[in-house]
Amino acid sequence: MSKIACFVEKYNFSDHREEAALANFKQAAEERGQEFHFLFREDISDIPRFDAVFIRATTDPLFTSYIVSKTAWELGLKVIDDPESITICANKIHQYELFEKFNVPRIPTMFLNKEELHHKRISDIFDALGKPVVIKAPYTSFSKYVEKAACETSFRDVAKRFFKKSDVLAVQKFTPTAFDWRVGVLNNDVLYVCKYMIPKGRWKHGAKLRGKPTFTWGRTVSMKKVNAPQRLREVALKACSVVGKGLYGVDLKEVDGDYVVVEVNDNPSIYAGYEDLRDKDLYGKIIEYLS
Amino acid sequence: MKPSTFLESSIKDITLNICNDCRYLKTGYYVSLHAEVLGNSVIPSCENIIDSSRTPILLLRASRAGIPTLPFVVTDSVKKIISELGFPVVVFAVNPFIYDGYKTANNKSALYRAMKSLGMNYKFAVCAQPFKGEITSFKSFFGKCEESEELKKISEKVYDLFKIPICRLHVQKVEGKAFLCGLQPVRAEELSKLDLNIINREVLLFSKQGESFGV
Repeated sequence: MSKIACFVEKYNFSDHREEAALANFKQAAEERGQEFHFLFREDISDIPRFDAVFIRATTDPLFTSYIVSKTAWELGLKVIDDPESITICANKIHQYELFEKFNVPRIPTMFLNKEELHHKRISDIFDALGKPVVIKAPYTSFSKYVEKAACETSFRDVAKRFFKKSDVLAVQKFTPTAFDWRVGVLNNDVLYVCKYMIPKGRWKHGAKLRGKPTFTWGRTVSMKKVNAPQRLREVALKACSVVGKGLYGVDLKEVDGDYVVVEVNDNPSIYAGYEDLRDKDLYGKIIEYLS
Repeated sequence: MKPSTFLESSIKDITLNICNDCRYLKTGYYVSLHAEVLGNSVIPSCENIIDSSRTPILLLRASRAGIPTLPFVVTDSVKKIISELGFPVVVFAVNPFIYDGYKTANNKSALYRAMKSLGMNYKFAVCAQPFKGEITSFKSFFGKCEESEELKKISEKVYDLFKIPICRLHVQKVEGKAFLCGLQPVRAEELSKLDLNIINREVLLFSKQGESFGV
C-alpha cells in the first residue's frame, strides 16, 4: 500500500467540477487500497512521510508547487508533475526550442528578445508570419498572457507588457480554428481526448468578453479516445516524448488536414464531467502510475 | 559575446554564462537554456539556476551533499513557524522576485511583517530557519571568496554543487560553526573593480580550455 499526497491550493476547490474530480481521485485510490491525502501549503514539511506526490495546484518554477515537486523528486518519491516537466512546460520558449530540435509539427513560431523590439524586426516578423500574429509570454496558462497583434503599435504595446517579466517572448502565426484538440497523455499513452471549443467570435478557449469582468470558457466536448484520429494521437505522443514521461495535456490544431502542436501543458485541468466523460478510467490509471 | 547574439547562434561548445541577471525568465536564464537545448554543457545549468534561487531546494540539496545547514520550515502560516521553530527566526523569500533575501524576526508582529513583505502579501510561502547566531553575507566568485577557511569550504562546495559563477552567500554562524542559509544573485553595481578583476581572471582560466561565453 502506498501513501499518495495530493498537493492542492484553496482555489482547487473553488469549482465544484474540479472538486468532484479530486474526490474521484481519492475514491479511485481508496478502491485500490491506497491512502490518498490532500496536502496543503502549510504541510509541505510532511512530504517525506509519503510515497508519491500528485500535484494539482498550478505549477510554475516560481510557485510553491515547484518546491513540492523538487523536494519529492530529491527524496526519491514518485511525482506528477516532475520538476523537469514543470520547467519545460511552464516556459514555452524552452518547449518550442525542444520542438524545433526534435522536429515536432508545430505552429510557425519565432522568438523575440527584449533588445530586438524595433521597427525592422517587427516588420520581419509580420512578413514571415502574416498579420495578425499571436504574442505569447513564456509563462502562459489558462489562455492568459496570449494576445493578438495586427499592427506595430499594438505589437509594441503587448510585447512591452510581457517583457516586464520575461526577457524572451514567442510570436506565433495566427491560426483560427473552431476548436482546439486536447489530448491527455500519461507515460506515453493517450488517456483522454476532447475538443475545447472556442467561444463564438473569439480566438482562444478562455476569453474575456468585452466590457465584462469575468472569463468565459468554451464548451468541452469529449470523445472516446479510440475514436480519435490516429494521426492526432501520433503527433500528441511525439510532442510529449520530447517533454518527459508524466501527465500532460497537449493542445493541437487541425490545419489543412494535418495536426500541429500548439503547446504541451503539464498539470492539465481535469474536471468531472468534462475531460473524464468518455474515458472514466483515467483516474485509476493516474493512481496506478503513482503507486 | 553578447547574450542576444548567442541566443540566435547555434554554437556547439562548452558554454560559460556569467550574465549578471541569471534569475528565472531573465536573459541569463535564456542563455543557459539555449545552450542546453543545443546540447552544450553549460555553467550554470537551468536546473541549478532555478534550484539555487529557491531556498528550500538549495538547503535540501546542499544538506544531502554534506554542506552544513539548519533545519527549515516552508510554509505560509505564522502559527506553524512559531510552533516548530519559536523565536528568533530568519525568514527567506521563496520567490525569486526579491533581491534582498532575508528578514529576521524576534516576535510575532515582526514575523507577520516579514512574511507579508517576503511572501508578497501572503501570495507565496516563505522558508524559515532558526536564528541562533549571526548571519554573514559574502560574495563568491567561482566558489572562491575572501573569508575564513570554514566559509571558503562552504563556498567551494556550493559551487561544486550548483555551479553558480557569481553569487552572494548567506551563512549563519552558531557557536563557531557555520551553516549555509541562502544564496542570492549579485547586482552588477555591487561588483567592485577588484571583484571584476577576480572574475576576469577566472574567466581567462576557464577559456584557456577553449570556450565561448556570454557576458
